Amino acid sequence: MLNFILKRLAQSGILVLVMSALVFVGMYVVSDPIAVLAGEDFTEEDRRVLAQELGVDKPLIVQYVNFLGNVAKGDFGTSFVYNRPVLDLILERLPATLEVAFMAMFIGLVIGIPLGVYSGLNQKKPTTKAISFMTTVGYSIPNFWQGVLLIMLFAVWLQWLPASGRGDTTEIFGVGWSLFNLDGLSHILLPAMNLAIYKICLQTRLARSGTQEVMYQDYMTFARAKGIGRDRLIRRHLVRNILIPIVTITGLQIGSLIAFATVTETVFSWPGIGKLLLDSIHNSDRPVVVAYLILITLMFVSINFIVDVLYALLDPRIRYT
Amino acid sequence: MKTTLSILALAAACAMPNIASAETLRIAFASAPRSIDPYPFGGTPTASLKEHVFESLVAADDSPLLATGWEWTDPTTLEVSLRSDIAFHNGEPFTARDVVYSACRMMYLIDGRRNLLTSSMGPIEDIVAVDDHTVRFEMSSPYPMWVQKMKFLSILSASGGDVPEGPIQYDNEGDCGITSYPTLAEFESGEASIGTGPYEFVRFDKSGEADLVRNDNYWGETPEWDAVEIRTIGNAGARLAGLLADDFDLIENPTTEDLPGLTANDELTYTAVPSWRSIFLVLDVNPEGANGVVAADGSAPLADQRVRQAMSMAINREAIADRLFGGEATVANQFAPSYRAGAPELPALEYNPERAVELLAEAGYPEGFAIDFYAPSDRYANGARVAQAVTQYLSRVGITVNLKTQPWSVFAGQRKDGELGVFLYGWGHPQGPAQMISFAFASRDKDLGLGSSNYSNYQNDAFDAAMRAWAVETDEAAATEYVGEAMSIVMEHMPGIPLYYQHTIWAHRADLTVVGRQDERTSAMTVSRQ
Repeated sequence: MLNFILKRLAQSGILVLVMSALVFVGMYVVSDPIAVLAGEDFTEEDRRVLAQELGVDKPLIVQYVNFLGNVAKGDFGTSFVYNRPVLDLILERLPATLEVAFMAMFIGLVIGIPLGVYSGLNQKKPTTKAISFMTTVGYSIPNFWQGVLLIMLFAVWLQWLPASGRGDTTEIFGVGWSLFNLDGLSHILLPAMNLAIYKICLQTRLARSGTQEVMYQDYMTFARAKGIGRDRLIRRHLVRNILIPIVTITGLQIGSLIAFATVTETVFSWPGIGKLLLDSIHNSDRPVVVAYLILITLMFVSINFIVDVLYALLDPRIRYT
Repeated sequence: MKTTLSILALAAACAMPNIASAETLRIAFASAPRSIDPYPFGGTPTASLKEHVFESLVAADDSPLLATGWEWTDPTTLEVSLRSDIAFHNGEPFTARDVVYSACRMMYLIDGRRNLLTSSMGPIEDIVAVDDHTVRFEMSSPYPMWVQKMKFLSILSASGGDVPEGPIQYDNEGDCGITSYPTLAEFESGEASIGTGPYEFVRFDKSGEADLVRNDNYWGETPEWDAVEIRTIGNAGARLAGLLADDFDLIENPTTEDLPGLTANDELTYTAVPSWRSIFLVLDVNPEGANGVVAADGSAPLADQRVRQAMSMAINREAIADRLFGGEATVANQFAPSYRAGAPELPALEYNPERAVELLAEAGYPEGFAIDFYAPSDRYANGARVAQAVTQYLSRVGITVNLKTQPWSVFAGQRKDGELGVFLYGWGHPQGPAQMISFAFASRDKDLGLGSSNYSNYQNDAFDAAMRAWAVETDEAAATEYVGEAMSIVMEHMPGIPLYYQHTIWAHRADLTVVGRQDERTSAMTVSRQ
């Protein structure tokens, strides 16, 4: 296990380094921060001074080495646009994204798994057909369009929920969260649902195919023959065994929910990091983009790592040597 | 689950009292103001927000605001007299000392960086508080533009902590004998956000949210609203949904497609105002040839004035304004909006594709030629569609157009490097009708600040002479003469092709009256109940 962990860490280090170089060079080649930041009435002298202050007047390789040196010291740089440390900017926005991502994941699991298990167990029922139809629909409607539909339905026609923004936040450990008061909760529901619909469909399908497969395994027949009650059979023997693919997908999905909830954040004006990334790409704010993508790479690496460890816990047959 | 959801939703709805009380104006911006600190950042949203709290000596429409008037005592000295009846939000009276202090903060380095508006200060050398209500700006060279540039100088109160007693000695480093200035954070927490404006600061959040409350002692017309709530929603559809859901009273920039729906809805309407932003093409007229412009005989077609006129005649501006903007755009006849104060009267630009074909043939291009045409995809309202329309019009007279739309961040860099032979561009004209042509078409003159973005490579002695005279002319009438002369010359030669003037559109509740501003800024001061 230790060997596995060490190897994993080394791989991750290289991955992050390559990633940072790619993003750095990509941003450098594609866009020019001075052209975007400088006002129309800037003279050449003004532009030169600005380039100097931002440190973008030096050759690319020097800029990159400086950047790596600073990262080693824990300094990801200062935003060109906001003139504040990049890490502060990202951490400021992170809670908003985290809570909407976890809320969506939670809704996805809580609704998706029971629906899937039900469909797997009752394949012939009309409700199962309906569920199957709904998941196909949920899969197929593009995310942004779903968001707009949700807004139309719940905010414009029914007027139950606000259309956008984050609402009131409650301070916990110095960070504002929407989950802990009614106004915040009413704001988070729509974006979370928007992200969750796809997850519900996905989890339903995963759980259904898992159930169909596991139901006909010998150990299930044996357990039934032993006289184990239906509830216990499902909880202990069925659900536990269908969890492996669900955990894998959930892990990866959490990553992508956090990193790329951009569309939902844009539609609902949710002030999360996805929106920060989009704005920063737009503004050629290279330090933010680079730091963001490095952090996201780190996050994916960690999630995969945790998922691997979880496998071992869920399935005693898996051993890392 | 469905019932749980509805119960939750219902509970949430009950917990939230309907905030649509008549006295609070709820506005949705289209992009986020970057700070409430008036100095480090440019951009329309930031300016829109800050103007509620901070005021300048000169108003956006060039009229005196905190000043009562000004006079050039000689070409490098401007004396501005100030209103004497004004107090800051904290009760301190407004005096010339505050003007000097504000200019010092403008020039001061914050965290090792100059703020992005600093270049406005140009050749200003000294700022002197002559008496409590007179301030004198001294320059190293004539800088008549300063009257316009004073709009950027938001007035802060010098009454804060670390300002020593007595007069403040201005210097170009912003040191001014002041050891510390309020920081960005102090502005955003509200501690330092003390201005003279119609609304007082309550709260600001980086996601583009701000809350303001009426300044009961405002010196001007009494503000209409008890409170103003500003939120930012980047997505146009979501913004409109917010208006429909009664989350907002007023939103910025609905799309052209949404306008008929707004007209049909009894509860809502929209207000459109011709803005000072003009949209035009810039052509690289370099006789050596231009990037991406290819003629069969290897010549430089854009260097020929007849070709440029033909291109202008090929474009049906009326159709663009009517079809792409639903009528909410004004056809252009020069680079500055024809209704901008000081712009000359010029004839309309002709749409005549037959004549365009003839002109191309006369110029020696009966078979046309090929151009790469660049346009930013995410910068101007309907920008990409306008570029497509222009492409089609030019194709019809025989020019092969290869349209390349790009994100602004990519486009801006290539434009700066002079890589674009033909491109679509826009200019907001906040500082009079001449500034854009002085940057884009004059020969480079560092001292006078001319020609800094002359990517057209246009050069004309008569035009340059008029621009140079304009740049140092402090007499308004004479300066207007020079502008008219320069504009006529450049419209004759067409190193660029004006297309239309954008309209700024606000969608809002039908029971509100909106007097939109021409500088595209959104202000609670322009909104009143019927």
